[in-house]
Amino acid sequence: MNRTRREFLAGTAGAMALPLFAGSVFAQSGGSLRIGALNPVTGAGGPYGEGMQKMILAAAEAINAAGGAAGSKIEIFAEDTQTDPQAAVLAAKKLIEVNKVEAVLGTWSSGISLAVIPLTNDAGKILMHTSGAPALSVPPANEKGLGYRFQATNDRFGRAFAEIAEKEGFKRPATMAFNNASGIGNTEGFKKAWTAKGGEVVSEVVYEPKQASYRSELMQILAAQPDVIVTGSYVGDTTIILREWYQTGQPVKWIIPGWAANSDLVAALGADVVEGIISVDSISNEKAPSFAAYDKAYQAAMGKPGTDNVYAAMTWDMMTVLALAVEAAGSTDMAKVNEKMRDVANPEGTKVYTFAEGKEALKSGPINYEGASSVLDFDEHGDVTPDFSASFVEDGKINRRYVVKI
Amino acid sequence: MYFAQLAVNGLVQGLVISLAAMSITLVFGIVRFPNAATGDVMTVGAFSGLVVYPMTGSLLASGIFAVIVTAAVALISHLLVFRRLAGRSVVALLVASIGVGFVLRSIMGLVFGHQPMVFSMPLSRPYRIGGLAINPLDLQLALLAAVMLALAFAVLHLTPIGRQMRAVADNPSLARVSGIRSGRVLAALWVLAGAIAGAGGVMLGVKTVVNPEMGWDMLMPAFAAAIFGGIGSPAGALLAGLILGVVQEMSTPFVGFTYKIALSFAIMLVVLLRRPTGLLGRIEGVR
Repeated sequence: MNRTRREFLAGTAGAMALPLFAGSVFAQSGGSLRIGALNPVTGAGGPYGEGMQKMILAAAEAINAAGGAAGSKIEIFAEDTQTDPQAAVLAAKKLIEVNKVEAVLGTWSSGISLAVIPLTNDAGKILMHTSGAPALSVPPANEKGLGYRFQATNDRFGRAFAEIAEKEGFKRPATMAFNNASGIGNTEGFKKAWTAKGGEVVSEVVYEPKQASYRSELMQILAAQPDVIVTGSYVGDTTIILREWYQTGQPVKWIIPGWAANSDLVAALGADVVEGIISVDSISNEKAPSFAAYDKAYQAAMGKPGTDNVYAAMTWDMMTVLALAVEAAGSTDMAKVNEKMRDVANPEGTKVYTFAEGKEALKSGPINYEGASSVLDFDEHGDVTPDFSASFVEDGKINRRYVVKI
Repeated sequence: MYFAQLAVNGLVQGLVISLAAMSITLVFGIVRFPNAATGDVMTVGAFSGLVVYPMTGSLLASGIFAVIVTAAVALISHLLVFRRLAGRSVVALLVASIGVGFVLRSIMGLVFGHQPMVFSMPLSRPYRIGGLAINPLDLQLALLAAVMLALAFAVLHLTPIGRQMRAVADNPSLARVSGIRSGRVLAALWVLAGAIAGAGGVMLGVKTVVNPEMGWDMLMPAFAAAIFGGIGSPAGALLAGLILGVVQEMSTPFVGFTYKIALSFAIMLVVLLRRPTGLLGRIEGVR
């Protein structure tokens, strides 16, 4: 019996269309405020996702130990986005419709947050994310004001890149962007800020994800003789790009976002290749007592210092600030909770650094939660403005040289 | 010269696609289903090579080890899963292969984690030949692929088991009445398909970064090349993979980097419209 090409094509199409559901649920029992932890445990966000998810669990534990929020114990339902919008949407649907969660915490990468936020909006649930795309600030994505961003926008990142490029005296920047909202957001933000300073971008490339080689892209960029290449990229593609660049032997400096220029990148490429790279990241609120509390939990869960994972500090804050808003609202009704978010996070009010402190202080007046990830003051779009660090790779170490405020 | 350089860039990428497509097309030619686990078998190859490379420092040794492991993995998947589903519909086998892929990917995720890992090869400057920059590592990889391809074609065309494989691919019933033992043929097929995928996996791993999803991501271009080349034709898969790789890179000055992938699929579409059997495929008999 011969089968036809048509069957092969149909089968292949079927394979591509099949939803790739995976992931795990480790539900706890007996709670009454249901929260979804939707993190990139696998895929490009894998280096961060596990820590992010564990910090949501750890913060929930701390809240439950302090007697819960508004009398409710927190119950976490954990899912993996696989750093893939399709998988993330399926997982979010499951969290909202099956697990009946009241909020979804900790999506990473803009493509995913943009895909998930229509679902949380429709259900009237809160989405707290760590994505940078400017589109997440405004309608339609954030039309209901239920989206909160714990990371700097890509636009703010781009501004920080431009500040640093100016400070370092670069004259001929070129940009390379991973083709998604975040990657392009970074380089567009840079271009906007750089041209506003009177500068010129000599060459720009937007490249496709998941390619075996970026040599042709590099050829085009390097032909313009830039003195620095600014990227909006992730660690996997950055590894390939830097390796191929190094092999060309053409000297150029790099400004790369911190989620790509991290210790994994250094380990993957070796000290010679990455020497002198400038890694720019938003920085956690490292001197605050809230950071110390987070750091302790992170060390216990992951065996590494909390500074390793800025996103885990963000998810820790998500759980904590949400619980404080629930406590302040005296209800788990998300409409009421949403009204309290800025009340508990922004000035005025007693500065508090943990859930237990905040719960106590709420009895006597307004509070201002100072987070582990930033001072955590939400603007009208639900965005925060962290500070940025410029770190230089020297002898295989990523050393922070200075802090940039924008 | 710029175009020649782009073509060289594309050739090495094309070889990776070719190997994956060959593995798919071989399985389809004989067992008659698109094996969606091919990509994950490649990933197994990449991780196997990654384990051995630091111990030996030899690309060849890593390649050989990876090929042995993936041949074994493919054979085991045949014995445990695909053999038991023989004669079921193509969709049942396809879904089973997706399942096999899931299992492999999850095991690798558990064992190696999801951090991107790399073959820490000493980086070298390219040779300059008449203005063309050719990377020594790419040459080594191309050599590795050539050896694997030569072996595969030798097995298919010069050995009795290869002849039997082709006989089964041509007409399973006739092959059976001629006294060909299909069990042995199938086992040999899976070993060969696994080995080819493994070699492709090592190549991809050396060139890029190794993570559990890398092979799955390769599946789309590999399927495209298998169809483009003519399903069931190993030589067609090889040719189609190379063409896809080169066309993608050569098109970039005209369509930019964002659309190069779309363009290679557009070319595939045109070729299939003009020649529905693919480059080297045959029109199958209908009964």
